[in-house]
Amino acid sequence: MPRRPRSASKTSEPPRVDRTPPWSIVYYTTPDGSVPVLEFLDACPGKIDAEFTAVLDAVAAAPPPQFSGGGKWEAMHGTMTGWHEIRLTGPGREQFRLFCLLENAEDVELLRRGFRKPAIAVITGMRKPWRTKFSERDYGRVRKLGDEHRVAL
Amino acid sequence: MPTNPLLDTSLHERRRTRRMRDPEYRQAYERAAREIAQTDQVIRELDSLRVNLGVSKAELARRIDRNASSIRRLFTASHARPELPLVAAIADALGAEVRVVSRRGETKAASATGTGRKRTRVAA
Repeated sequence: MPRRPRSASKTSEPPRVDRTPPWSIVYYTTPDGSVPVLEFLDACPGKIDAEFTAVLDAVAAAPPPQFSGGGKWEAMHGTMTGWHEIRLTGPGREQFRLFCLLENAEDVELLRRGFRKPAIAVITGMRKPWRTKFSERDYGRVRKLGDEHRVAL
Repeated sequence: MPTNPLLDTSLHERRRTRRMRDPEYRQAYERAAREIAQTDQVIRELDSLRVNLGVSKAELARRIDRNASSIRRLFTASHARPELPLVAAIADALGAEVRVVSRRGETKAASATGTGRKRTRVAA
C-alpha cells in the first residue's frame, strides 16, 4: 500500500519562529530610508563603534535572560522600562549609549511582523559628557523612534 | 528571508564585515569580544555552580549579606555591572575562587604538562 507523502502532514503545521541563538540584529530604518543608529555609529570613535558591535554580537549569541554582554548590556527602568541599553565610556570619559528593543514576542506575533527569529532591534544611540544626564526630552526622542519602529512592522 | 522589507537582518553583518577590514577596528573588536567573553563566562560559571549546588539566589544573597534582587539582577543582566568584590564574594560563598591565568605563563604550563586553558576561570 503506498505511503502518504510526508509533505502532506507538514503543510498543516503552523509556521514557527526559530528561537535558537544567535538572534537576529536589525537596525531601525525610518520611513525616508535613513538609519539613525548607522549615523550614530559612524560618528563614534572607531574603538567605541567596534565595542558596540562586539556587545551586540555577544548578546545575540547568548540572548536574555542569561547574563551576556560583559556587563555593558543593561535593562532600563522608569520611563524607559522595556528598553535595553549598551553603556560604554570613551575618550575623556565621554559616555556612549545604544538603545535597543527586544523582539521576542509569541511566534504568531513575531511572524505577523515579519521576524523568523527573535531579534535585537537597535533603534538609535546618544552620547554625553561625563557626569551629565540625558534629559527626559532626549529619552522621549528615543522612545518616539522605538514607537515608529514598532508601527512600521 | 524576512517578509518585511524593513527587516534587513544582514545590515549589521555586512557593516561588521566592511569595518573589520580596518586593522584598528578589527583589533578593537577582538579585544572587546575577549573581554566580554571572559566576563560572561565568569558570571555564567558562578550561576552554573550555584545551580549544581542547589543554592537558590535568595540563599546565596543571604550568605553574602546582599539583597536577593541584586543577585537575581546580576545573573540575568537586568542590571549588569559585576563588581569584582561581589564576584569574589559569590565565588567564596559557593566554595570556589576566581583565578587569573596569565596567557604567557599558561603557554609554558601547557607546554610542560600538555594541558591548560587560556582563560580566567572560576574553580571549585
